[in-house]
Amino acid sequence: MKSRKQIWLWHLLTVFILLLLGAGLWVATKKIDYTWRWNRVPQYFAYVDETLVPAPFDARVASLQRSGGSTAVKLTGENGEEKTFEVDNDSLKVSENEELFQGDYLGSVSSWRLGPLSVGLWNTLWISAVSSVIGLIIGLITGLCRVSNNPTLRNLSVAYIELIRGTPLLVQLFIFYFFLGTVLDISRILAGISALAIFAGAYVAEIIRAGIQSIPKGQMEAARSLGMSVPQAMTHIILPQAFKRTLPPLAGQFISLIKDSSLVSVIAITDLTKSGREVITSTFATFEIWFVVAFLYLLLTSVLSQVISWVERRLAISD
Amino acid sequence: MIKTVDLKKTFVGRGQTVYAVDGVTSHIKPAEVVVIIGPSGSGKSTYLRCLNGLETFTSGHIMIDGVDLANKKTDLNLVRREVGMVFQQFNLFPHKTVLENIILAQQVVRKRKRDEAEKKARQLLKKVGIAEKENEYPIRLSGGQQQRVAIARALAMDPKIMLFDEPTSALDPEMVGEVLEVMKQLAREGMTMVVVTHEMGFAREVADRVLFMDQGKLVEEGTPEHFFTAPREERAKAFLKQVL
Repeated sequence: MKSRKQIWLWHLLTVFILLLLGAGLWVATKKIDYTWRWNRVPQYFAYVDETLVPAPFDARVASLQRSGGSTAVKLTGENGEEKTFEVDNDSLKVSENEELFQGDYLGSVSSWRLGPLSVGLWNTLWISAVSSVIGLIIGLITGLCRVSNNPTLRNLSVAYIELIRGTPLLVQLFIFYFFLGTVLDISRILAGISALAIFAGAYVAEIIRAGIQSIPKGQMEAARSLGMSVPQAMTHIILPQAFKRTLPPLAGQFISLIKDSSLVSVIAITDLTKSGREVITSTFATFEIWFVVAFLYLLLTSVLSQVISWVERRLAISD
Repeated sequence: MIKTVDLKKTFVGRGQTVYAVDGVTSHIKPAEVVVIIGPSGSGKSTYLRCLNGLETFTSGHIMIDGVDLANKKTDLNLVRREVGMVFQQFNLFPHKTVLENIILAQQVVRKRKRDEAEKKARQLLKKVGIAEKENEYPIRLSGGQQQRVAIARALAMDPKIMLFDEPTSALDPEMVGEVLEVMKQLAREGMTMVVVTHEMGFAREVADRVLFMDQGKLVEEGTPEHFFTAPREERAKAFLKQVL
């Protein structure tokens, strides 16, 4: 009971320190007279888009028919042509038998649209997901080559890993986009995804190699002594165990990949970071948007780390 | 069944050539139980591991059922499924349950159906006396139980020969008996067995023949009565004096 109480005190102290830091930031921004406009942010996630509906020709309003939230406006033209439009009730601008000229507005139709931040979030999500999967496959193959007995496979995998790990991702992105993109005529999105996947693959390969080498030699010997071939032993015995051991570092790698994907904004892919920049140019709400963008990345990475720790717990039953 | 002709295995390290196995010639007949004993580093484990191709050898021949392991065209995987092996460290697959450990190779290598493999596995678990543990993971079993599962796993492949590499050396003393009991039963059933062990009692009781190795060489061989009571070689005498 006593020790429990003390633990709560320490937690309280943590909260207090965090509050203190927050207060400090608040005071600091007060000093520079920054006007916070958090109310401007939500519209960049989703907004109501109003489309005005014009009359396509000179016409008379033949009838108005309400049904639910919208009204059907039936127009009759001078030459007897008929056409019906749906507009929202509260936006209705015409009355029955009114004469209209071409281009007069009947009203408008409003609908919910995804704002740039949502679109950016979605793009970041799927770009990271696709490059993670491809990166995992590349890493798995390279990792296996790295531990193979064939010197050529070993050399090639070492060369690949060293090359990728020794150069900055930003530079790789530029090379993929400007050089490979031009030479092989690939789109910017493909260039971005391949650069991320190949970058992640090099790190995953080293993680996989370490995982395979961490499995005791006896496991392979036992599998071989039962008549399994090397590929069979790998798929049934070594890799499942190695996968379990490498899950924590792999999780770290994929979390890094989500964050690194922000770099694709430099080759004009509209990911979360680029969307954020675009929103700032139209709102000047610099502080708010960057905080929101950071929070969204945090959301993605913490969901991923939760999922992986769940898988880890599932796999721990044989421990 | 197993013929070894002038088998040599060398390691080269720091400019020195070490003979781990130095010209061993022997012939193990079907249903024979051969126990290999000798001091540490005498090459007995290396010799045993050569018999199922876990170690490559430098020169000589090993014929298993007429198939020469020295021949490059020999498919070792085909040989190994006929030669079961039990390790000092058990080497059970920790991510699989006891039952799955025994089923896996039957399905993957022997291409047996799941229920057929399960039936075989349960039958063998009963034989080694741990039928009730089939859904446990290896980590929850004692050393003796793990080793018995390992024996069942090897037997599930219906091997013609069983190799035992110091099967009781990693066990707590009170668990040695249960593993030896399973091995004795196998011997009675007429399994061809090659056993590397320090259990002199087992050698004396069960072996048809004892091979004594020292420094890679086969120094002396004979029946247990002959070997334990009247060894010819000085090195064998000295060794027995130490261990008995």
